[in-house]
Amino acid sequence: MTVLTSHLKLLEAESIHIFREAAAQFRLPVLLYSIGKDSTVLLHLARKAFWPAKLPFPVLHVDTTWKFHDMIAFRDRTAKELGLDLIVHTNHDGLAKGINPFDHSPSVYTDIMKTQALRKALDDGGFDAAFGGARRDEEASRAKERVFSFRAPGHRWDPRLQRPEMWQLLNGRLGKDETVRIFPLSNWTEADVWRYITLEKLDVVPLYFAKERPVVERDGQLLLVDDERMRLKPGETPEMRKVRFRTLGCYPLSAAIESDAADLDAVVQETLTARVSERSGRLIDHDQDGAMEMKKREGYF
Amino acid sequence: MTLAALDEKVPEGTILAPDQKSEAMLRLLTCGSVDDGKSTLIGRLLWDAAGVTEDQRAAVMHASHARGVNGEKIDFSLLLDGLQAEREQGITIDIAWRYFETERRRFVIIDSPGHEQYTRNMATGASHADIAILLVDARHGVKRQTRRHAAICNLVGIKKVILAVNKMDQIDWSEEGYRAIEADFQKLAEKFDFAEITSIPVAALTGANVAARSAEMPWYSGPTLLDYLENVDPKTVAEDVPFRMPVQLVLRAADDFRGYAGTVTSGKITVGDRVVDARSGLGATLRRISIMSGDQPFATSGDAVTLVLDTDLDISRGAVLSEVKRRPVNADVIEARLVWLAETPFDPEAGYLLRSATDLTPVTSMSVSALVDFETLGSTPAHECSVNDIADCRILLGRATALDLFSELPFTGNFVLVNAIDGATVAGGVISWVQAGSAAADDVDENVLVLDRARLAGLCSDLGNSPAESTEFERRAQEVAILLRSAGVPVLIDTDQ
Repeated sequence: MTVLTSHLKLLEAESIHIFREAAAQFRLPVLLYSIGKDSTVLLHLARKAFWPAKLPFPVLHVDTTWKFHDMIAFRDRTAKELGLDLIVHTNHDGLAKGINPFDHSPSVYTDIMKTQALRKALDDGGFDAAFGGARRDEEASRAKERVFSFRAPGHRWDPRLQRPEMWQLLNGRLGKDETVRIFPLSNWTEADVWRYITLEKLDVVPLYFAKERPVVERDGQLLLVDDERMRLKPGETPEMRKVRFRTLGCYPLSAAIESDAADLDAVVQETLTARVSERSGRLIDHDQDGAMEMKKREGYF
Repeated sequence: MTLAALDEKVPEGTILAPDQKSEAMLRLLTCGSVDDGKSTLIGRLLWDAAGVTEDQRAAVMHASHARGVNGEKIDFSLLLDGLQAEREQGITIDIAWRYFETERRRFVIIDSPGHEQYTRNMATGASHADIAILLVDARHGVKRQTRRHAAICNLVGIKKVILAVNKMDQIDWSEEGYRAIEADFQKLAEKFDFAEITSIPVAALTGANVAARSAEMPWYSGPTLLDYLENVDPKTVAEDVPFRMPVQLVLRAADDFRGYAGTVTSGKITVGDRVVDARSGLGATLRRISIMSGDQPFATSGDAVTLVLDTDLDISRGAVLSEVKRRPVNADVIEARLVWLAETPFDPEAGYLLRSATDLTPVTSMSVSALVDFETLGSTPAHECSVNDIADCRILLGRATALDLFSELPFTGNFVLVNAIDGATVAGGVISWVQAGSAAADDVDENVLVLDRARLAGLCSDLGNSPAESTEFERRAQEVAILLRSAGVPVLIDTDQ
């Protein structure tokens, strides 16, 4: 049952309710910040939930060192402007072993530099709860997940043993060695996120807006040449094309789309009329059938 | 720009319904027995109502040919079953949430599993829905699991139900067959509190009466499923209800700011109104409603706000702020109907906690009086209950808790039961009767051990009387109560200073 009002207002209130329930019930929460549009909305809602008090938890970024330069600049500026307690964690063992998205398959790279790094960062910090910006409309296994998603020791997700979650009542009592991932944006769609960014005049990474950028076309996907680390295959020459990103991850694992949407209004228009789903630009999800569920079982967000 | 204004932003060329802005989001549950075709129906609805993107269409077509159960046809259920085990077994295990928009409204679809062993997942889904589609197979009619699902929809407070009689193609589009099932269900529904029942004959596989009117059933003149969903009013909340806001957190900030953060669960509050803390009875005047974008003059149900009062009520999380006239009951005995969700059956000796609104109260004792019989839908006397049962029970609380009746104020009249040891949510329930005050004298024999400040003096010698320390006292007392109860000692907690 829901109380009726404009649907964005309802989604906003629901997310704030979730943040407050979590902050009240968990000992040491942390907010997973991945710099993208969903994280931008997540962070904004968190600030609203506790305003005028400060955020009662730190913000964690798992830095694979393969994020776009614009993303890192945006992260540091945001942290400074909002006075965030920002923790940046990198898997230095993985770096030392030379793990990178060119020589290793997306699944190996993601497991070591993202999933394992995240588990380590959560364990190191002793965090019992982590907020993430995942939405149920993103992918089939995410469509099944609870708002408070309990993880067995080792951060494992068992989709067969999810806790019932009734009405507005969020039960945060943990069993031994359990932790929880919390998804305040569960019921938001990509279109909702953009509408909300417009409404609240939120700043996002410039990569979301179309601009002439150097790209190469590979296997039907447009890859941005963000710096000299981009390895070109024989015959590939970067060319300038007007592109933007619908979703931001690691380069070269996030593909750009050709677009003329250079400002917020245009991006919202484009999203509302999109004929292809958002994660089709995320190369890691297509590695194998059920790829996201497998990554989630192992502790990926 | 206001939130409402943003909803006007729609793609160019979209034809706006005149009532576009007032069209509320609809949360829709699909339920019914296994194999009646729920996932296929919703897949079909998404497919026809443009809730599916091109790459998803391609993936479903590809997968349908690889392992679909319908031969060369498109398997629409593949749009819904997201877990590996589900795709392998061809069944739905957990609820799936899907979102789509038509020109008229934003939909949230909650697709629930039909298998009896996953009923607890169905109950989770149902509690979030405004309206339910109850699906039956035209060849088999209303089954035991259909009745169980109808009973759970009724329990969690759903007021409007669509009876979708599916697979009409399999009974040669027979009106007679359809009318018989409709009559069957109407009779069964007399046991429930549904305000509106709409029945529609459909065939999910062919799309008949899903989004497009069926040519095969000229005898049916009612709406198609999509027509109905686009136009139904999900509102069921009564107009004049008392104000409630369960306190989630106390927020403190610079300049001596002290505010009570929470979501208004019912009614309306305006700056200048008197409010009371239901448990202590202490009152104050509302000075500000503060949110990040600025103060606002009033707040209504559903708003997540922070209230600043003119005097400090010394309350913390768990308190319920109420209007002065119609207050919650400070109950220490309740009667409730609940659905048991845990694989482990109800155990009168186990330690349970009652999670209501934002409060957590230890259960002193609990007894089951009856179970719902899913054949007759009547009650049969019982003292035990186990997974997927619906039971009537009586619960004695370890301390008085501010509660309402579910039929009057659902969000302060519902609860979940939590296993105190492993934290599992074992049951979800709705309060049908409350009793305040002297319950301890009536219901507990004199052997009950009262845990108060004096008795816990040693354990709590480091605690003073500040709100934070009182909360900590209560937490410790609860943990002690759980231990004692598991050792068979009946206890009550007395938090008075």
